[in-house]
Amino acid sequence: MDAAAAALAAAPAAGVPPPGAAAGEQQAAPRVERLSAGVQQQLNLEGMRARAVGLYKAISRILEDFDVIARTNPSASPKWQDVLGQFSMVSMELFNIVEDIKNVSKVFVVYPRNVNAENATILPVMLSSKLLPEMEVEETTKREQLLSGITNLPVPTQIEKLKVRIDMIGSACETAEKVIAECRKSYGLGTRQGTNLGPTLDKAQAAKIQEQEGLLRAAVNYGEGLRVPGDQRQPQSLPSHLIEVLPLGDGAQNFGDSSGSYPKNTSTFAPNNVNNQGNQVQASGGQLHGRPAPSPGTTGTPNFENVSTPPMPYANSPRSGTNMMNTPSPQQHLTPQQQRQKLMQASQQQQLHAQQLRPSAAGMLAQSALPQLQDLQGQTQQKLQVPGQQQMQYNQALSQQFHNRQMQSGRMQPGMAQSQLNQGTQLRSHLGQFTGAANSAMFSAAQASSNSQMMANIPGSQSLMPQMQYGMAGGHPQRSHPQMLTDQMFGMGATNSSMMGMQQQQQGVYGNMQAGAQNMQQGMVGLQNQTQNPNFTQQRQQNQL
Amino acid sequence: MECVVQGIIETQHVEALEVLLHGLSGVPKERVRVHELCLKSGPNLGVVPSEVRLLCDLAQPTPSWTIRHVGGAMRGAGAEQISVLVRTIVESKASKNVLHYFYTLGYKLDHELLKIGFAFRFHRGAQIIVTVTSTNKMPRLHATDEAVPVTPGIQLVEITAPAAADNYNDVVSAVSAFCEYLAPLLHLSKPGHSTGIVATAGAAAASLMSSGGGKTL
Repeated sequence: MDAAAAALAAAPAAGVPPPGAAAGEQQAAPRVERLSAGVQQQLNLEGMRARAVGLYKAISRILEDFDVIARTNPSASPKWQDVLGQFSMVSMELFNIVEDIKNVSKVFVVYPRNVNAENATILPVMLSSKLLPEMEVEETTKREQLLSGITNLPVPTQIEKLKVRIDMIGSACETAEKVIAECRKSYGLGTRQGTNLGPTLDKAQAAKIQEQEGLLRAAVNYGEGLRVPGDQRQPQSLPSHLIEVLPLGDGAQNFGDSSGSYPKNTSTFAPNNVNNQGNQVQASGGQLHGRPAPSPGTTGTPNFENVSTPPMPYANSPRSGTNMMNTPSPQQHLTPQQQRQKLMQASQQQQLHAQQLRPSAAGMLAQSALPQLQDLQGQTQQKLQVPGQQQMQYNQALSQQFHNRQMQSGRMQPGMAQSQLNQGTQLRSHLGQFTGAANSAMFSAAQASSNSQMMANIPGSQSLMPQMQYGMAGGHPQRSHPQMLTDQMFGMGATNSSMMGMQQQQQGVYGNMQAGAQNMQQGMVGLQNQTQNPNFTQQRQQNQL
Repeated sequence: MECVVQGIIETQHVEALEVLLHGLSGVPKERVRVHELCLKSGPNLGVVPSEVRLLCDLAQPTPSWTIRHVGGAMRGAGAEQISVLVRTIVESKASKNVLHYFYTLGYKLDHELLKIGFAFRFHRGAQIIVTVTSTNKMPRLHATDEAVPVTPGIQLVEITAPAAADNYNDVVSAVSAFCEYLAPLLHLSKPGHSTGIVATAGAAAASLMSSGGGKTL
């Protein structure tokens, strides 16, 4: 039905222009407006109309059949085959009609896509290209004005006359334009072009702004230009919102470039011990061995010798050597007080950096330094406790260090002050964490073990005991603690030569020890050749363990 | 996820921009004073350092902390055709211990900055947040009272809109449409792309700041 209506609507629409043309003819203007002949022929309005009507009749016939069947026999169904056949014919006819209309559709400015009952009535008006009556009147009057007086002339003449008119108007416009521009200049109103373009930035300004923009964008998005160098990173005062957030103290300041500061702190203490020559170093070594009986429960200050160097799996790792070498410092004569303060500071700082500590042992080592001084003379048994433990704990590598330390401590004077002891403590720190840890573990073990047990493990120690009375209080216990010195010696493997030099200054008693040291330098193999020194005997036992 | 565009505006025109934004959004402006700390993870947390930003909102009576992790931006041919940057973002409120917590984890402070300005939050096709701030740096660590602007004459305008993976197209179009309203005053682009300033911004700003009564010619 819609298709039929569309076809019918199209037919009357096409029919409008011809009547309009006819009406136009009746008017005064001699213009005839109608569809061009070609379009008319193609459109074939009469034929189109006939086809549309035929289609309409066919569809209505089909619908009637349905009605009849529905009325007479509601239960029966129509013969669908026939109905479908008729429907296909109808649809084919509609398709043909639409196709024919499409061929001429480009003549019309607008044509309907979808026609239904709503817009069927208005379509003729919309399809019409005829001017509205008032528009038509307007056009005719204008034409009258334009062509008045020349309409009787031939057309080319009319064209020429119109051209002349256009030129005159053009020249009038140009002069008017000039006058306006001069007036603008004289009155300072600016040129027309200037106001149109708007303000422009000169190049320098634009470049400056671009540079600033780059800075700003980089700062916001990537943080360029906002990174403060490390030396300025100590906040003097925190704003209110950070005061309670950040814990006080330097330890809380975690900065990306602070990693370099850590080893520096540790190194400042080591050189005190490495470069100390003569009595101080040796005494310290001796003092260290003099404290096999650490005071119990001293875990307050962590011994930074455990903290100072990163954990090493073996005492003979290259680090141990370099630690000793890298730590030279001009400070050689620190008072005990200063050394202790430095020790405290270093330990605090290092405490904040994750290190493997053996806190109990570390505490013991640090705290035991002082008390051991006092116990030095009389605590033979305690000193002997240590080697017993050492046997259980030390490997070949440690034994070398122990010997080295042994030689150092040979010169220990009983009267050496705390300074030596502290230096010794600091010296030990650089022999490697493992050694320090081992030492501390050793000391802790020494605490627990009984004297008698220790004595039994040291077959050769008893013979050494009388030597203590010679005034070399530090030397003897160190001999009986081969392993304690071993690890430290090994750490100072590179400095053995210097130690040797020192020891040569020693008097007599340690001749065999020097030989032992030389053997140590050559490796553990040589130790077995040292029969003179009971220490080496112990070492051999340990090596075989 | 969020859609974000950035632009710059000269400080002298910020007031005009505020007037424009107020008119477009219809909401009052909010003060912005944020102390942003950018932390980078240490080597113990992986080979590739990750970055997390802690924002402390100082405009409130009690400072509130927010953790913000900026993820990677959308890439590909489709992303290049879109005029805004779409990137993953994770934000979370946190207690004031968050800074200490991250330090303990091993994060180190990379840089910090202070943003002072105002912001407008409104809904126009999508939830949109326009922030106009002056970015300041601190000469000494955490010295927020001594902050100086990184670029005194230029302020940053940032338009962000939260989005989800399934609706980011709508959000993108909403943001783009809104950005066109700001065209007289500033150019907006993806972060990282330079735009320059609008040459005629002065005239636009002047018209915005005019008393508002109709002028007869």
